[in-house]
Amino acid sequence: WLPSLLLKKYHGGHVVIRMALGGATNRPFYRIVAAYNKRSRDGKCIEQLGSYDPLPNIYNEKLVGFNYDRIKYWMGCGAHPTKPVAKLLGLAGFFPLHPMTVTEAERRRKAALTESKAENLSIVTLCL
Amino acid sequence: MAALRVARGLFRSCRGVQSVDYDARALFLGARRPVCTSSSDDSADGVRKAQFADAEVQEILTRITGLDLERVFKPIKRELKPPKYKLMTDAQLEEAVLRAREQAGKLLKMPLVVPERQPIDDVLAEDTILEGMDTAKHVFTDITFSTPHRERFIVVREPSGMLRKATWEERDRLIQVYFPKEGRKLTAPPIFNEENLKVMFRQDRHEEVLNHCLVQFEPDSADFKKVHTLAFEHLEQEAKYEVLRSTRFFGPLVWYLVTRRRVDGLLTDMLQRDRLQDALSLVRLFNLVHPQSDCALQAVQQQATGLDLLKIFADCESQKSGFIKLALQTYEHSGTDIVLTAPQSKPGISAQHLQTTHGELGIPDYRSF
Repeated sequence: WLPSLLLKKYHGGHVVIRMALGGATNRPFYRIVAAYNKRSRDGKCIEQLGSYDPLPNIYNEKLVGFNYDRIKYWMGCGAHPTKPVAKLLGLAGFFPLHPMTVTEAERRRKAALTESKAENLSIVTLCL
Repeated sequence: MAALRVARGLFRSCRGVQSVDYDARALFLGARRPVCTSSSDDSADGVRKAQFADAEVQEILTRITGLDLERVFKPIKRELKPPKYKLMTDAQLEEAVLRAREQAGKLLKMPLVVPERQPIDDVLAEDTILEGMDTAKHVFTDITFSTPHRERFIVVREPSGMLRKATWEERDRLIQVYFPKEGRKLTAPPIFNEENLKVMFRQDRHEEVLNHCLVQFEPDSADFKKVHTLAFEHLEQEAKYEVLRSTRFFGPLVWYLVTRRRVDGLLTDMLQRDRLQDALSLVRLFNLVHPQSDCALQAVQQQATGLDLLKIFADCESQKSGFIKLALQTYEHSGTDIVLTAPQSKPGISAQHLQTTHGELGIPDYRSF
């Protein structure tokens, strides 16, 4: 079958769905890409499956585009998504939620709580 | 000279009028939620009201719009090129005029009038454990090339963890980002503000505004409806129906007036310009759209045609019945038979082209008396 033959061309390698970095200085832009494992990050890919813009626009949105049809095909061929891609797909609802997303959210909330407590303490000490 | 001008107009590809093809089937079948029809008394009375997309209604509207070649192929502002002249025999010229008519028919294809779209507020998931994850929303668009835009999945993950479908405005903006359409901007240009619209209307540039609106907005969006309403209201108040006469927006204008039962101004305008056939078609359309009104019921009872239809309409519905009756009396006293030709008769030749008192349409020339 052709897809598995494609995969066997690279000995020991496998297809991954990962983010390739582009853009300019202080302005990242990621392309979500199906590529061989051993290729360079921004090098030749098999197919581009979408894009991700990490900086929010004037409407406070981070734009992500996914070509779900092709992602399904590559996942069916045995491609491995990387952690950030899996997180994004979990946020989109295509995958189940990634556990690290939940953990990160909890950590941030805890950090915000301790920060606010520290602020309160410092204000109280200043008043005294 | 006129023939040469027409021939010149033929061989220009009219790209100024951006013909946007709205496949009616795709809109109604491909919509992900059922679009509820605006005719609320449809089910109440049990009588089927005529919709905009019916074949009969469309035929009547195209006939009323007319086919003024000079107007349709009016020179549009574009880069200056020396004009091309062609030498033709009479037969070739006729053939060219025929092809021009077909092309004009395509250019005069009416934009769809559809009920306004309902706002989307569907929540797919409420994951409150994700709260505080991020300060910005994530918007996920499906970039599959083959899905129609109406069926595309566009979801938004809010910072509160809620996963919801995107609103219509967000959808339009994101589809323009990933699949840009020529002439459409991401945010509505300031010409569509109320004051600027009024300035354009004062200069009689309704057609430009409406073409721009067609390109920029979807036919069922609120902005599209608002611009069209404003344009039509202004035309109705000033009674400047001639501005849109042989353009693709005349049909929607007529439909707007007929559904709101404000046909008097248009009818008087038609009678003043000796367009009796158009007036009759208008009354017939009114009867189709409001089958329960007095006018329609009486017309059906008496099986009225021709001037009788207009008389019934003047009696029942119109506020300017005096003028209509006067016009009808003059037609009767002239003693000629109003030839109710089949719809194949050339509707586009305006009254100025009638050579004799009995022109090609069989209508007496008003000004010869």
